[in-house]
Amino acid sequence: MDNDFQKVAIVTGGGRGIGAAIVRRLREDGALVVACGRSARPEGLDDDVVWVRADVSWSGDANRVIETASKYGPVSILVNNAGVQVEKTVRDTTDEDWSNVIDINCRGVFNMSRAVLPIMEKSGGSIVNLGSISGHVADPSMAIYNASKGFVHSLTRSIAVDHGPAVRCNAVCPGWIMTAMAESGFALAEDPEKAKADAIARHPARRFGTPSDIANTVAWLVSDQALFVTGQLFTIDGGLTAASPLQPGLL
Amino acid sequence: MRSTPKEKKPSMTGKLEGKVALVTGGRGGIGRAICDRFIKEGAVVYAADISDAGSMTSVADDRAKFIKLDVTSEENALSVMATVMKEAGKLDVLVNAAGIEIEKTIEHTTLEEWNRSFAVNVTGTFLASKHALPLLRNATTGGVTASVINFGSYDGFIADPGLAAYCATKGAVHALTRAMACDHGPEGIRVNAICPGYIDTPMLQSFFAGAGSGGKGGTIDTLKEAVRNVHPIRNYGAPEDIANLVNWLASDEARYASGQLWVLDGGLSAQVQQMRL
Repeated sequence: MDNDFQKVAIVTGGGRGIGAAIVRRLREDGALVVACGRSARPEGLDDDVVWVRADVSWSGDANRVIETASKYGPVSILVNNAGVQVEKTVRDTTDEDWSNVIDINCRGVFNMSRAVLPIMEKSGGSIVNLGSISGHVADPSMAIYNASKGFVHSLTRSIAVDHGPAVRCNAVCPGWIMTAMAESGFALAEDPEKAKADAIARHPARRFGTPSDIANTVAWLVSDQALFVTGQLFTIDGGLTAASPLQPGLL
Repeated sequence: MRSTPKEKKPSMTGKLEGKVALVTGGRGGIGRAICDRFIKEGAVVYAADISDAGSMTSVADDRAKFIKLDVTSEENALSVMATVMKEAGKLDVLVNAAGIEIEKTIEHTTLEEWNRSFAVNVTGTFLASKHALPLLRNATTGGVTASVINFGSYDGFIADPGLAAYCATKGAVHALTRAMACDHGPEGIRVNAICPGYIDTPMLQSFFAGAGSGGKGGTIDTLKEAVRNVHPIRNYGAPEDIANLVNWLASDEARYASGQLWVLDGGLSAQVQQMRL
């Protein structure tokens, strides 16, 4: 394989949902993609995608992902997509919930970024973190998740400030994207179908997002079209958070 | 049933003793509450508005001096400030509360309505502030700061449906607030904006009857429980809630507060849209 001109990209949590869409897109754009996740290699993953079974909340695992990817060339794209959510208020959140969410959503982004920075500072690179609209405005009963995304937003700016110009760092903040994670949110509703219709009506785009909507944004941010773009948070939510939380027409 | 903030009397602390204040839109829903509060706090208050009645009925014990002001007229602004200068010699506090709301999408907003929105909400803030500057400077002696309080809105951050021109004017006020704070801070003039959410005023009632109900029609009475429930504090605001913050920003306690946008909305805009799950 001739890797001289092929960018090496890492996507964490690349096995499903938004991560899987980012893996597919970066591969289509010509990158050699190394994807990681806590499970075994997902079925149907393209043969030329490298899979590393790893838990990014452990620095040893994070380092191993970077080492594996480095065999193919200097890593120039890192997409910190791995994330979990716990649907609880602060009062109900256990120590275990805290560790679960903070270790993956916060420590994972930190571990991966720290491990890749020496490479990117030398040969250049772009980090894209997955923030969330929930890091800007609160989703009810998602306290620790919301806070973890606020951490991601802030760390994004710090990395951009500290490690430019060689490294660019941005965050994409998805709204409601139809993934298994979002489905589990609707599953909590009394009438999931009615809840979905109501939620769609609140989107100026009149639909939920798809994983590929997010992959499109990530692909642009890591491309040479975005060389002056760093330290920013990009909300991709079909207009949801541009509107007031109070929609009298839907009361 | 918890009591509404309206039923609680604000504490009288004499925070504005010796200060001269002018409130544009001083006969409106929020402007009236600010005038009342300023008087209770010991200030000399000018209620500047286009008419004495404004959108609220006059109250007998209203001691705010009414002064006629069309905020879109530079001539008016000059003469009002000249009067205050002659009578009081200074202005410690300027509150730019005059505002109008056109309840339309851009498609149905006429150029005249658009221009009128900007004339009142943005140009009005500009003119009153510009011509108040010499008076505000007169108030800044011995390390005391003068305070300008503009009216933005949470609609300057996020949109309500069918309020396009209004949303745009409030975004302009937010930016103007920072610019004024930046330019006139060195002279001891602080500039802040308050960004109210749902406040029980004639403007809100009009919004509910029109654009706010999605064309279905309604009033604050029929919608108020539902509206309350969307707010994290389970209530919409009263003009007195806004006056509480205006009073603090006007006082010397806020001497280090400048260039900021103070959202006061019962937590409404802290949350993602409240879908019916």
